[in-house]
Amino acid sequence: MDIKETQLCAWHQHHGATMAEFGGYRMPLWYKSGPIKEHRAVVTAAGLFDTSHMAQILVEGPNAEELVQRSLTKDLGTCIARQHPLEPGRATYGFLLNDSGHVIDDAIVMMEETERYLLVVNAGMGATVTKHLLHLGEDLDVTVSDLTDRLSKLDLQGPASGKILQKILQPTSKLKAPFPYFSFAGHYDHLQRGVKSTRGFSVMVSRTGYTGEFGFELFVRPQDFASLWQQILDAGEEFGLLPCGLGARDSLRTGAMLPLSHQDIGDWPCVNHPWSFALPWKGGKFTKSFVGDQALLAAQPTEPHTLAFLGENGRKVEAGAEVILSGEPIGTVLTCATDMAIDLVDGEVVSLASPNAPASFAPRGLSCGFIRVNHALSVGESLILKDKRREIPVRVVTDIRPHRTARMAWPL
Amino acid sequence: MQVPQDLKYTDSHEWVRVEGNLLRVGITEFAQSQLADLTFVDLPGVGDDVDAGDEVAVVESVKAASDVYAPVAGKIVEVNEALISAPEAINNDPFGDGWLFVIEPADAADVNALMDAAAYKGIIPDE
Repeated sequence: MDIKETQLCAWHQHHGATMAEFGGYRMPLWYKSGPIKEHRAVVTAAGLFDTSHMAQILVEGPNAEELVQRSLTKDLGTCIARQHPLEPGRATYGFLLNDSGHVIDDAIVMMEETERYLLVVNAGMGATVTKHLLHLGEDLDVTVSDLTDRLSKLDLQGPASGKILQKILQPTSKLKAPFPYFSFAGHYDHLQRGVKSTRGFSVMVSRTGYTGEFGFELFVRPQDFASLWQQILDAGEEFGLLPCGLGARDSLRTGAMLPLSHQDIGDWPCVNHPWSFALPWKGGKFTKSFVGDQALLAAQPTEPHTLAFLGENGRKVEAGAEVILSGEPIGTVLTCATDMAIDLVDGEVVSLASPNAPASFAPRGLSCGFIRVNHALSVGESLILKDKRREIPVRVVTDIRPHRTARMAWPL
Repeated sequence: MQVPQDLKYTDSHEWVRVEGNLLRVGITEFAQSQLADLTFVDLPGVGDDVDAGDEVAVVESVKAASDVYAPVAGKIVEVNEALISAPEAINNDPFGDGWLFVIEPADAADVNALMDAAAYKGIIPDE
């Protein structure tokens, strides 16, 4: 298969990026400043990611809601705080499963209007998910379009993102307060929706991301993308913004307990994992029916468990390493990364963003990630992860990087 | 890419500096550039007896962990403890502050079998 390039490929290479193939695209792993500084910039200041390799799918028509409800694990009827239904300008996160309850992909679903939903899925998945939705919606009055090549996205992430965003948007732009996590405003090709760059083009601004930190995903037409990228870099310089590659994106999302599709979730029944908030559980049942629901209900008791772990230092093992409990192999490592913004202080995990971080805090990083094991384990349980090179002691945890900013109140 | 003239090299990208009857060992600028930011270093124990080609240290980056091999047989007599808290010294100064360990060779003549700078330049890609 030909490797695709994003519009910014030449920019990345000109700025010293180490490039690698990911999801069918040639993407930056890190720039000259290196992945450690990039990771820390997102926790303490801001980082900018080219995420135009990701795919977007538009579902519209009288039965658009019905198709999303059939295909997505999250219940649109109850997915907002206090069990409220999704409304225009709000987004939610869920899985797309097959009949066996295995993950095809995960998606952020953005409700643009009553009969119009935008799904953001992973790189290279536009065609697969579009085909899946068309098949599921054969009996419905709905259209499904792959917008992947008609829409570009970048991620501005980190606590300084709000100040940077305000510099690049026209003051009249309508980001009504409060603008909570998983809400969005504006549109990628309708100027009348009222969110515009100071350079005149329209932007859709969404308070979402893949780092666990405060920030935005910005959607624009491809012809405006390079301009927006440069505009944000210029505006962010005074705040310590760094362009960031997929290396930092992976370590940040791991520390934030977010799964990577086709690695931490994938071709196995989607149960017994840290992301049950994406399934419509209520009192041991599902609040709606969806593709794969019966398989999940049947699989529940016996399926392997996916759990998060935290190491004692920066030592990592390779994905696929063995998980050992009391000398017995019980599973494999799905993801192992080092969160370079955290370390142990008197046995407690502390982040660069923690209010209780010591004045001279210089974290050396902790290994962390996800394992898939053949039975449930208690929080705090000690395990050994073993690859061909080394064995590292880790413990089972329910959270990794503390004091993440994704949900902070904004605008202040 | 720097390849200092006064050092010896291995095909696994270690450099060796002869200091009297001892050999100081690190990884080359090329090696660190392939690994990107180093996050962790596992050093050998002082007093360890090693054979040529033994895995004696692990340098770990954001991307991957890589073994560092003993260039000759001998005894580890000193390790760079400063790397434990500051592994980035290997990225910043691979031929200086980023040294890994000092080995007392079992046979001082073994170092002559290692590559010189010209030969090492021949095995790394041109910039």
